[in-house]
Amino acid sequence: MSSTTFSPAVPNRPRTLVIGSALATSGVLMFFGGLFALYFSRRADAMAWGTEWFPEGAIRLPPGGMNMATMALSAITMAWAVYSVINNDRIHSYLAMAITAVMGVAMLNQTVFYFNDIALPIDHSEATTFLFVIVGAHMAMVLVGVFWLGLLLLRALGGQDTSRNRDLVSAAALYWYAAVVVYMVIWLGIYIAK
Amino acid sequence: MTETAADTTRMGGVVPTALEAAVTTTDHLRIGRAWLASGALLLVASLVAGLLVSVERMDLTGMAVFGDVDSLFRFWSAYRVGLVLLVVVPVFVGLATAVVPLQVGASSIVFPRAVALGFWVWALGAAFTVAGFVIDGGLGTPGAVSRTDAVALTLLGLLMVIGGICCATVCILTTIVAGRTAGMNLSRVPLFAWSVLVAGSIWLVTLPVLAANTVLIYVDLTGRSAVAFGVEDTIWGQLSWAFSHPQVYAFALPLVGIAGDIVPVAARRRHGNHRALLVLTALIGVLSFGAYAQAAFDIGTPIREQAIFVVEAFLIVPLVLLVLVGLVDVLRRGVGNRRTRMPAPLYLSVLSVLFLLNGTVLGALRAVAPLDLLDRSTTGAQFTFTIGAALLAAMAGTLWWGDLIVGRVVPQGFGLASALAVAVGIVLVAVPDTISGFMGLTDFTGGDLGGAGNPESGVDVLNTVALVGSAHLLVGALGWLVTGVLRLRGARSLADPWGGHTLEWSTSPVEVTSESPLLDATVEAGA
Repeated sequence: MSSTTFSPAVPNRPRTLVIGSALATSGVLMFFGGLFALYFSRRADAMAWGTEWFPEGAIRLPPGGMNMATMALSAITMAWAVYSVINNDRIHSYLAMAITAVMGVAMLNQTVFYFNDIALPIDHSEATTFLFVIVGAHMAMVLVGVFWLGLLLLRALGGQDTSRNRDLVSAAALYWYAAVVVYMVIWLGIYIAK
Repeated sequence: MTETAADTTRMGGVVPTALEAAVTTTDHLRIGRAWLASGALLLVASLVAGLLVSVERMDLTGMAVFGDVDSLFRFWSAYRVGLVLLVVVPVFVGLATAVVPLQVGASSIVFPRAVALGFWVWALGAAFTVAGFVIDGGLGTPGAVSRTDAVALTLLGLLMVIGGICCATVCILTTIVAGRTAGMNLSRVPLFAWSVLVAGSIWLVTLPVLAANTVLIYVDLTGRSAVAFGVEDTIWGQLSWAFSHPQVYAFALPLVGIAGDIVPVAARRRHGNHRALLVLTALIGVLSFGAYAQAAFDIGTPIREQAIFVVEAFLIVPLVLLVLVGLVDVLRRGVGNRRTRMPAPLYLSVLSVLFLLNGTVLGALRAVAPLDLLDRSTTGAQFTFTIGAALLAAMAGTLWWGDLIVGRVVPQGFGLASALAVAVGIVLVAVPDTISGFMGLTDFTGGDLGGAGNPESGVDVLNTVALVGSAHLLVGALGWLVTGVLRLRGARSLADPWGGHTLEWSTSPVEVTSESPLLDATVEAGA
């Protein structure tokens, strides 16, 4: 910046990152809302006609339950990360963010293993297309969250994630909680209700 | 973190080349201009497709232009998708990107890099979409004869277009919600900013649903064999809800704000009840939520015959009428205050609200089951009135705020003539389609060869009028493009050419830059 130029004062904007993240997350939630609405309406239609939705035994509860537990625990560690940053507790914030990211990776790993295990082709039926699209989209959502957490960790190591600059952590937490909520619907609607 | 005045030296005193500056800019005015210019170019392309379809409708039995019904369908659907997602919405996003931050006293848009990213993703997606339509792809055809890879390319382009629009919309909405200057609460924001807040919110909750539809189709189509969603002759049916009632109103909604900002300044009178206009705009926005009106949800009674669809169609009419009455009231009270000629954007913006009213009336008529208009050409007429109204308002907006966005003046008369050509075109296309719809012409005429264009059908005169209308639209669009070029060469503009009272005429833009934005907490907290 030129030394002779006087620039306007930095605008004081309240929590832009949190608000932006909330808006973007609402869009992501509507994406899944659209998928779930289609899934449940087509499933109800199939049930009404007595048509088989998923092949018998294809959808098993234990892998879905394990993933749900992992995501639920990651919501707690994410809250721990936000709390640590608010309190300027750098060691705990490193730990909490790293554990949350690892849980996200673990969830992705479990899902990939499970889908390889059931060996259900994507074009088997309308239901399997839905299954791959919904679960695949959620995996992409978690992957974005993991990258975001990696960025937060880098910033934390550089001393940028402090109680004064905690908005990016809060924004990431909002997104991560949305990912947990989406998985809860997947767990209830696909793994339990089948 | 550094902040410099827009369009000046950046990054350690090194002057970027024109290309570097265009690609890496975080100046919201420049990004806004990019959206506007791209939208104007794609408007011409979309209208060429529309004109070719109109020519073909003159004699469908001959198929002299496209050769077959499937190609005709491809261009017919390209016209609708193009006008909405490649023209009207991007142009409104461009206007909002440039004007809204200044209107709310924010100096710069929040997350300027994300807005730029949104534009480039949209631009690439638009190129893919156009290419997909041109190389025998598109969004499926009745005869299922498209090239699968080209359809996939179109769908990918559509996804990128939606992603780019949503990305930019998030930034604009965040600017309105969190970037307002001190003392400006939401009830005091200018009407254009408010209408963008409402419309953008609806876009953010409906376009992702369209993206969900598109992903399902894409995955099914590119799988080993399509089982449901990717079956070609069903693709358009799954996506068409986004291009008809009530969703089209959401895309056109910023026109209410454009008219609402132009009329009081031009008439030298404040709105009688600013808050009432805010509430009306919000109600129209809520009623324009159309993601539920999908054919996929037709289990039992079809969605479009259910009470919610019909009630929504009728409720929106008096709301738009009230907006129009409010604007006319301001004009009536202000007519004695004005000593000089009324500015061109005033006429265009009021006309756009009138066209929107026509669109909503047709939407209500379509919802009356005994009239059986849902799948008739009335659908096209409603689309033309509504999206045409948005286009007219966008032209009014660029004439009004163009001095601010480009910093140069343009002859208002040429801009007015171009916009009036578009207005005449809208009427000449929409009115015959309305009458043809009552005579039983189907929305996509290729599905009804006997009733569309042969000499015995009784609609060939109307088709001829619609063809003239399509030509008018294209001439007007070309005129708009020329207006933009003339503006680039015009004299430097005044700071406040209209004597406006909203903040955009007194706020200076600021470009926010940082060499490591993702790792720089100060930028994110401040910008």
